[in-house]
Amino acid sequence: MPSASSSSAAAVWAILRKECRSEWRTRYGLNAALLFAIATLTAVSFAVGRLGDRPDLLAALLWIVLLFASLAALAHTFVREVEGHTLTLLRLTASPTSIALGKLLFNLLFLAVIELVAVPLDLVLLGGPPLHWGRFLAVLALGSVALAGTATLVGAIIAQTRGRGALFAAVSLPVLLPVLAGAVSGTRAQWSGAPVGAELRLLAAYGAAMLGLSLVLYDHLWEE
Amino acid sequence: MLLRMLLFAWIAAALIAGFLWAPLVPVLGDTTRVFYFHFPAALLTCVAFGWSTLHSVLYLARRDLAHDAQAAGAAELGLLFCVVATLSGSLWAKAMWGSYWNWDPRETSIFFLMLIYGAYLALRSAVDGEARRARLAAIYSCVAFVAVPFLIFVVPRLYFSLHPEPVLNARGKPDIDPRILLVAAAMFAGETALFAWMLALRVRVARLARAREGA
Amino acid sequence: MSGAPAGAPALRGFGAPTESVAGVALEARELGHRYAAGRGLEPVSFALAGPGVAAITGPNGSGKSTLLRIVAGLLRPSHGECVLTHEGRGLAPGARRGAVGLCASSVAFYEELSAGENLGFVADARGLADPRGRVAHALARVGLAGREGDRAGALSSGLRQRLRLAFALLHAPAVLLLDEPGSHLDEEGRALVGRLVHEQRERALVLIATNDERESRLAERVFELRGRGVGHPA
Repeated sequence: MPSASSSSAAAVWAILRKECRSEWRTRYGLNAALLFAIATLTAVSFAVGRLGDRPDLLAALLWIVLLFASLAALAHTFVREVEGHTLTLLRLTASPTSIALGKLLFNLLFLAVIELVAVPLDLVLLGGPPLHWGRFLAVLALGSVALAGTATLVGAIIAQTRGRGALFAAVSLPVLLPVLAGAVSGTRAQWSGAPVGAELRLLAAYGAAMLGLSLVLYDHLWEE
Repeated sequence: MLLRMLLFAWIAAALIAGFLWAPLVPVLGDTTRVFYFHFPAALLTCVAFGWSTLHSVLYLARRDLAHDAQAAGAAELGLLFCVVATLSGSLWAKAMWGSYWNWDPRETSIFFLMLIYGAYLALRSAVDGEARRARLAAIYSCVAFVAVPFLIFVVPRLYFSLHPEPVLNARGKPDIDPRILLVAAAMFAGETALFAWMLALRVRVARLARAREGA
Repeated sequence: MSGAPAGAPALRGFGAPTESVAGVALEARELGHRYAAGRGLEPVSFALAGPGVAAITGPNGSGKSTLLRIVAGLLRPSHGECVLTHEGRGLAPGARRGAVGLCASSVAFYEELSAGENLGFVADARGLADPRGRVAHALARVGLAGREGDRAGALSSGLRQRLRLAFALLHAPAVLLLDEPGSHLDEEGRALVGRLVHEQRERALVLIATNDERESRLAERVFELRGRGVGHPA
């Protein structure tokens, strides 16, 4: 009989692979999110032109696009389980924490893929000033972790309710505001050469708080 | 019945004292009076939030629906007091500084609290089944509780440094006339009693509704 | 041997909880669950020790499936408790997934993945040794050997039921819960269920929830749930 921790790790890894495989077969969430990001950025570029002199708007736009793309997609991982009625199978196979961690890792991967497209597009289309790479990537990384962690938790809650899209946005927004604030502020700051220490601390603390809370709360999420 | 009359008399007395007995803060002038509505309401919003979260945690630990009724009732009343606080604060801001809304730290904080209350109640209305509703709402309550310190302390600080608006609230100064404090405290006590009474009613209604459904 | 007459909440089972070869004991104490007014599982008490086969019968709505879900640890009962002991250790509801296998219509598979991939995922997540081998073996046992690559969404209801049986048996659990195992199955399928139950009766505690005579006959003991089911006066 495998030990508890090794089977948890095995479960997380198996769930991550399953999510990737399922997503790749249907590609529904990925398509929607990428399309949204591209459409929004090109629409703004068309309407406004270049925003090289407005790093505050550039930062806000980037993170709003990431935020909405993730709102569209991150709930999807749980909604799919609820709509496909596969939750029973999942709960019989893995612990709630493993399920949550597996899905969180998948959401993080998903977000990274979206960022690979959205960030270059944002910079190219809207013409940002040169990046302070170290600071920018740090804010992007910590912001993504905080975003994914929080959105996964809220997504798991929402998936079990009647409402979906609009409700998810309304319910997750207050809880995602700190992430948005820290990320936008940090991204903006690195363009003006300012230090991003405060923002990084905010994002790290918030991300850690949400992850810690998740570990405690996930056990209650799917219990009937 | 007697207690209700007493409560009515208490609040009425406090209000009258506020208008006739307590002095005005020099810098605020006549607008001082708003303080007696605004301050207790804002404080009560926070108290209600804490009470609601406490019972959410208790529900998760014990699965007793009585805790859920307390959490939901406190949230509804908390939203009510939050609206009172926001409106009174906004009117006060208009009278004092000429604009209804400034996004200064305090205003921003109360606005965030209102968003969270709203989200919590929206979530509740979207879930079928008592036990599931209670469970999901309780979980969200815990998440929101963790978010609140960030929203109230950290985020405004971030924006405050970006938008240096020299708009600071005049209350909270240490040299406030004790009579003002007394009336404010009396109003707070009165409003807390009001809150407790309305909450008890709300919880009783919930319990009766559940009993009738189960019969 | 059937259970106690209508009205009596307590139903006694075979074996005292201490005699058990496989070390499995299941005990229900005033176990009940209420979904809403008039629906759910009326409080029931019993004690079973494995290995062996027991059947739970009762009208529709009497709570057979609910009872199995509670035993599996998926549902927290609104009254009473359900104690499952394996190898001397009590298993909390959240820790039962390793010892329990459930075959029920509520178990749905990932439509976009194949039958083999679904079971493979379960085997990997459970940390089983030689996952490929076990999946192949399980599929063969339920007669799905050639269907490993078929998309789960494309399987007929009968084949899907066989897949559920494979899922329940994959990790060789100490407690096997079968909720109307013969549903959707043809004669050959029902014979398969009989063979599987027979195979398992020496090594596991098998609980079959059923209204089918043929299935309840597989059991050594039969309990009847008298609930406020559909068609019963309130």
